[in-house]
Amino acid sequence: MGRLVSFLMVLLAVAGLLLAGRPQASSPSAGQTNSSQGPSEPLAIVVNHANPINGLSMAELRRVFLGERSHWPNDRRITIVMREPGEPERKTMLRDVYQMDESQLKNHFLHGLFTGEILVSPKILSSAVGVRKFVFNVPGAIGYMRLSDVDGTVKVIRVDEMVPEDKKYKLHVETRPAI
Amino acid sequence: MGTPQKLEVGRRSGRVASLFDRIVSALSRHNVTLSLALVLCMVGLVGLFVIRDLQTANAEAENMYLVSVQGLRRIGELQYDAQETRRATLYALTTNDSNLQLEYADQSRDADRRVTDGITEYRQQAKQPVEVELANRLNRDWANYLPVRDEVLALILEGSTAEAVHLDLSGGVPSFERVRQDLNEVKRLYEDEASQRVTNVEATSHRSALRLIGILGFAFLLSSAAVWAIQRSRMLGAIQLARTQMEFVASVSHELRTPLAVLSSAADNITDGVVEGKEELRRYGRVIQNQSRQMKGLVDEILLFASTEDRKDRYVLRPLEVSLILEVLIGSTRELIQGAGFAIESRLESDLPPVMGDLAAISQCLQNLVGNAVKYSGNSRWIGLRAYAAAGERGDRTEVRIAVSDRGLGIDRSEVDSIFDPFYRSQQVSALQIHGTGLGLALARRIAETMGGKLTVTSELSVGSTFTLHLPIAEGERLTMPGTPSQTASSATS
Repeated sequence: MGRLVSFLMVLLAVAGLLLAGRPQASSPSAGQTNSSQGPSEPLAIVVNHANPINGLSMAELRRVFLGERSHWPNDRRITIVMREPGEPERKTMLRDVYQMDESQLKNHFLHGLFTGEILVSPKILSSAVGVRKFVFNVPGAIGYMRLSDVDGTVKVIRVDEMVPEDKKYKLHVETRPAI
Repeated sequence: MGTPQKLEVGRRSGRVASLFDRIVSALSRHNVTLSLALVLCMVGLVGLFVIRDLQTANAEAENMYLVSVQGLRRIGELQYDAQETRRATLYALTTNDSNLQLEYADQSRDADRRVTDGITEYRQQAKQPVEVELANRLNRDWANYLPVRDEVLALILEGSTAEAVHLDLSGGVPSFERVRQDLNEVKRLYEDEASQRVTNVEATSHRSALRLIGILGFAFLLSSAAVWAIQRSRMLGAIQLARTQMEFVASVSHELRTPLAVLSSAADNITDGVVEGKEELRRYGRVIQNQSRQMKGLVDEILLFASTEDRKDRYVLRPLEVSLILEVLIGSTRELIQGAGFAIESRLESDLPPVMGDLAAISQCLQNLVGNAVKYSGNSRWIGLRAYAAAGERGDRTEVRIAVSDRGLGIDRSEVDSIFDPFYRSQQVSALQIHGTGLGLALARRIAETMGGKLTVTSELSVGSTFTLHLPIAEGERLTMPGTPSQTASSATS
């Protein structure tokens, strides 16, 4: 009986490990474009014009979006702006920046808020215009949007020293389907 | 003691009344035209004043509406938008939905943009120092409030509600209160200005009403005076006409009775056998002949005056040599002049063009003038006849003038205008018992005017008179040099 229980626990552990490792195994590595999946366009990371930051490495970007970094160099609190689940832009961020799926992300923020490691949960906005307005209004906000949605009210920062127009820019989102 | 003073006052009032009657008489000549012109002028004047006052009041009201009412409306809108800026910011506090919070943020920014535009407009319109100072202060206070509002909005969107409320209470409320006070002060300025303008409009309206009443009263008085003057002038004219007719009847009666008395007396003497011998009878015959001629002349003159009322068509106008006219005149008056012992001095410019006229009529006119010269020369026994060319009144047309002068009684200046009136007899002449009907000069002027000329007079009391007949020259015979010194042919007849 004891052997059986031990066997089952080992089996469950292996299964859990296999299940936990599947998303990571199936998701493309950071910086990989999804050009093979069809036409895409760059996903710009935008901040308020008052923000002194002009660029972040992919690792720093990940830390910021995970809420592991709470303030900008000018002491402004960082406010993360996200699109709603299911949006292509959010999927790109989950895949290329967070390297998580929705539930992992949810668990991450719930855990962070519960433990006090994260001060404010991400703001969820329903449109790119909303993201843009939010970033414009909040000096410490950081968000993302298609490059075609960017205007002069927000500032686009470099990621790994690359602007969205660069060929080697790592964040891309599939283009909108033609209406 | 009082009697001479009363007499003096009476004379003065008499002179004033006489002067007044003369003015009224002058008015009466053109009474209808004058009264119409007067009424039209007054109506026009009143109309102009009314229009001007209405325009002034209108402009004032329009200005008041544009500046004050619209200004107040603008300030009302500004106050509302300023409140809206703050209200929308506070609404964002009421929800956790970021999308909704962003909508409120947008509303707040839209409102703040309108407020900023309104303040800019007010600053541009501000002219008075107090307005400029207030506009600058409002702009400064609003500029101070906006960063606080932005920070509050940012905190709300971040989710830092407590911090947002704290910042709003510590910074937003005082800043906005200053803006609110500024806007209230702007509103008060507009209200003061509007109140001042209402006072101005009321004052203008009151002034206009008073002016209209004054003008209408003045117009009414003037119109009444004009009507009264016209009525009085008509009455005076009627009285004058009646008096003149009475004088005419008396004069004619007198003129007829004198020769009739002589004729009657002569007839009685002859019938009673008082006249003896052929020589005596011949003397009576001459007397009867003279008196009969005098009566005939008188009757002829009256008939002639009556017949010249519409004689124009019956005159035969033709070119006449001036020398011929004078020749006929001297011939027709020779007996009169010689009989009265007068010397006539005649001066005729050479190269005078022919005049256009009726020889008989001109002769009749000049005979009347010569007859008057004989009648009113007093002790002088001289008559001057002069014919010359001169420029007409218009300057472009020359005319020939025949002047008959005497050195007799002369005419008082006050009577010069009246002597051409029919039946007019001056008091001086009546006092001197110089007989006449008062028709001679009226007849002469009528003849002159009927022929396209005119009759004028210059006279000085106790010095003499000159009556001048102006005659148009015959067409194509105008003088080229009317001012050229001319050779004068003079002659004297006695």
